[in-house]
Amino acid sequence: MADRVGNRGYVTYALRRAAQAVVVILLAYVLTFVVISVLPGDPVTTTLRNPQSGFTEEQIARIVSYYGLDQPVLVQLWHSLSRFLTGDLGVSLRTNLPVSHLVAEVVPSTLVLAASALAIAVVLAFTIAFGVQYLPRPFGPALRAFPSLFLSVPTFLIGLLLIQLFSFQLGLFRVIDSDSGLATFFAALTLGIFVSAQIAEVLIANLDQEARQEYAGVARSRGLGQVQLLLRHLLKPSALPVVTVLALMVGEVLGGSVITEAIFGRAGVGSLVQRSVSTQDLPVLQAVVTLAAVVFVVVNLVADLVYPLLDPRVRLLAGQRRSTARPEPGVPEPGVAAR
Amino acid sequence: MNTYRTARRVPGARRALQAAIGILATVLVASACTGGGAQSAGSGAPRDGGNLTFLIDSLGDTWIPNNSAISSFQGNIWGEVTDKLVYVDDKGAASPWVAQSWDQNAAATEFTLHLRQGVTFSDGTPLDAAAVVANLDMWSKGDPQRGITPIGLFPKTYQGAEAVDTTTVKVRFTAPTLGFIPTLGYHGSILISPKSLALPADQQADLSKDIGSGPYVVESWKQDDSVVLRKRPDYNWAPAALDHQGPARIDSITYKLVAEQQVRSSSVQSGQADVAFNPSPKELATFKAQGFGVAAPRYLGFVNGFAINTKVAPFDDAGVREALQHGINRDEILSTVYTPDWLAATSFIQSNVPGASDHSTSFAFDPTKADLLLDQAGWARSADGIRTKNGVKLVLTLYPNPYLATSKAVDELVAQQLGKIGFQVNIQAFDVVTYGQRVKIGSPVVPAYEITRSFIDAGTVGGVLTDQNKGENWFNLGSSDTKLAQLATGIAGASDPKARNTQLDELQGYVLDQGYFVPLTQIVQRLYLLSPKVHGVTYNGVAYANFYTAWIDG
Repeated sequence: MADRVGNRGYVTYALRRAAQAVVVILLAYVLTFVVISVLPGDPVTTTLRNPQSGFTEEQIARIVSYYGLDQPVLVQLWHSLSRFLTGDLGVSLRTNLPVSHLVAEVVPSTLVLAASALAIAVVLAFTIAFGVQYLPRPFGPALRAFPSLFLSVPTFLIGLLLIQLFSFQLGLFRVIDSDSGLATFFAALTLGIFVSAQIAEVLIANLDQEARQEYAGVARSRGLGQVQLLLRHLLKPSALPVVTVLALMVGEVLGGSVITEAIFGRAGVGSLVQRSVSTQDLPVLQAVVTLAAVVFVVVNLVADLVYPLLDPRVRLLAGQRRSTARPEPGVPEPGVAAR
Repeated sequence: MNTYRTARRVPGARRALQAAIGILATVLVASACTGGGAQSAGSGAPRDGGNLTFLIDSLGDTWIPNNSAISSFQGNIWGEVTDKLVYVDDKGAASPWVAQSWDQNAAATEFTLHLRQGVTFSDGTPLDAAAVVANLDMWSKGDPQRGITPIGLFPKTYQGAEAVDTTTVKVRFTAPTLGFIPTLGYHGSILISPKSLALPADQQADLSKDIGSGPYVVESWKQDDSVVLRKRPDYNWAPAALDHQGPARIDSITYKLVAEQQVRSSSVQSGQADVAFNPSPKELATFKAQGFGVAAPRYLGFVNGFAINTKVAPFDDAGVREALQHGINRDEILSTVYTPDWLAATSFIQSNVPGASDHSTSFAFDPTKADLLLDQAGWARSADGIRTKNGVKLVLTLYPNPYLATSKAVDELVAQQLGKIGFQVNIQAFDVVTYGQRVKIGSPVVPAYEITRSFIDAGTVGGVLTDQNKGENWFNLGSSDTKLAQLATGIAGASDPKARNTQLDELQGYVLDQGYFVPLTQIVQRLYLLSPKVHGVTYNGVAYANFYTAWIDG
């Protein structure tokens, strides 16, 4: 009986979150349109007004009219939304290519980069957190400075240093083969170092806290070794908040990919966004923002749905996620920030 | 948060780590700069084969031929996959290419092009008179119904063209158009297969469908990432002016977008790539010292400088304009912002343009004279050093050109220099979009519009200075300055090159003496860093590298 109630609550919760997700995605689409539309200029006139081009105002007006950029903003929004709801993402104003083609061309590269960066970040974060706990002085305490250091060193500097050392000096990979395995690894490392900092901070704080708990003291008094204590007792409760942090990090990874892709010469979502923003390529921006909203919503939804399964202290009550446990140190209450 | 508290426990360790990173960065950068000089060059004898990698900071936006950024990044690729009717070298001399010869009537309103036989596009379509007519029409008119723009600087006097036979094209203009033949060698005048021209815009945006007749064909490409070109084995119609005929020597060229300037240069230095576009000007001397090739080809066009709006006070006063002209120390700009690859201006057009003459005395740096001119114009120095007249300060607002990376640095230096003769110079920098919206020639808030523009024929000069024939009215004079209007009309409508050059010389002196145009420096728009393995690169009149003639050591 309790299971049936629990399952029904779980399904209701999932459906409600899915409906919210659709609203969020549509709002993201419309908001992107509004924000870009209120800015002065458009990609067509910006190109044509380049003094080098030598176009007359009459010629510019005719081309702007062809793209429908002389129509009222609401009319443009209606056309755009109608197309979107039928699955047509339109044509890029900058490249004249179908937006779906442009996005499809760069998504795989960014997914590989983002997934690799997250994997590297997790490994780095766990390594640092374990090192802080168990390495002898001065190494263990010194590792505590690494997350702050990773956050304070600009990503582009890390990228340039890695390229300089491993590509130009040691010749491990070629910058021009930007999609090769090693080039992807170092690009992911650049991004992963930044992302790892925030995961490591959470993990270090949680391990500190768990290590001070009574049960940990009891375990130690029974002669359990440090490594066994960590693996058997401390790791799981300390690592759970990392799920929430990872979900939040998806946005950071997408944002950080702009710089990383530029430095490593990768054609990805980040570089597509950067070019589309600088040229006000509205159809592409709408598609990418919508895609990012979808990814963000889905990832957070998955994190929220997985959390109760992993942590028995978190229960779904009346279709809402509630933590019956004390808030984790170092992270917001689960489920709040994730939404 | 806990983390910050714990991090504070070991400030020494953090500082040590940060210092270590700093030292590592310094060491790596220093080693990249000083170590690993260029490998010794090979025999230098031309050879066939090899693959060239060219790192570029952008691959532009659309690949629709007419709409693409032919005048900047994409011109590098178009130059290898397409031909032109006429070849124009870096001295502005036009010579035969696909057009073997040409005639014109005495009035320069009708031209007959005689085409080379046997030229084909890489899709097999003959490059004949009908194809040339289709291209001329497209350059002139574009196709607004398909969102295709015309070529901006194609003569507005174009009336039409007809194919007399398969190798003869007759082109007519509504007024004398001496610049027509040189314009056929300009960026935008690239010959595209009529089949490609007939495609809808979204298909023309697919580079692989834009078929040219050049020495290379597009093997593959990816938007904003790379373009791979493959040699066309049956190519045999190179410009006679080049010292190579037949197919290209290098098998393939890969253009790879690497946005980061330092990464592009270091890739060439480390031997990973052969050419880097637009390296840092400040590093050119270092590259040369290490044995790398550096090319700063000069383009044909206007120098970098200000077109003065004569309707905006106080620049409606000739004395103030002349003071401005003599108050700028151009040598200091060259030595501070640029390198010896940049040349001093001698007129308001680049000195390699046929018909350019030396009028540097008209704008020689002379602060004493500038001070005197401002005194005579009634502008007296106030306590803060800024001159005033009737309670109004002597103010100049400059808008750095966002299309020129060095523009802001130059304007800042100009502001310091003019400050010494009593100007208050304000600098208002905008991004490209805002600049396009707010900074326009003739605007009442733009006293000085910064010019950088290439052209292939001096006839362009006559078409932009006044408002005659839909001219751009650079100085906001309309046609009110009868001498200027007369000279400009004479140049734009000239039918005799010698007579035109005489008028052009007079025009240059007049515009500079009147302070209508304030030159800064001659401009270099494109820089190339070349591996010592690359030889035989030629550069055309619009400063593009031509790898058709090049070869790579084995």
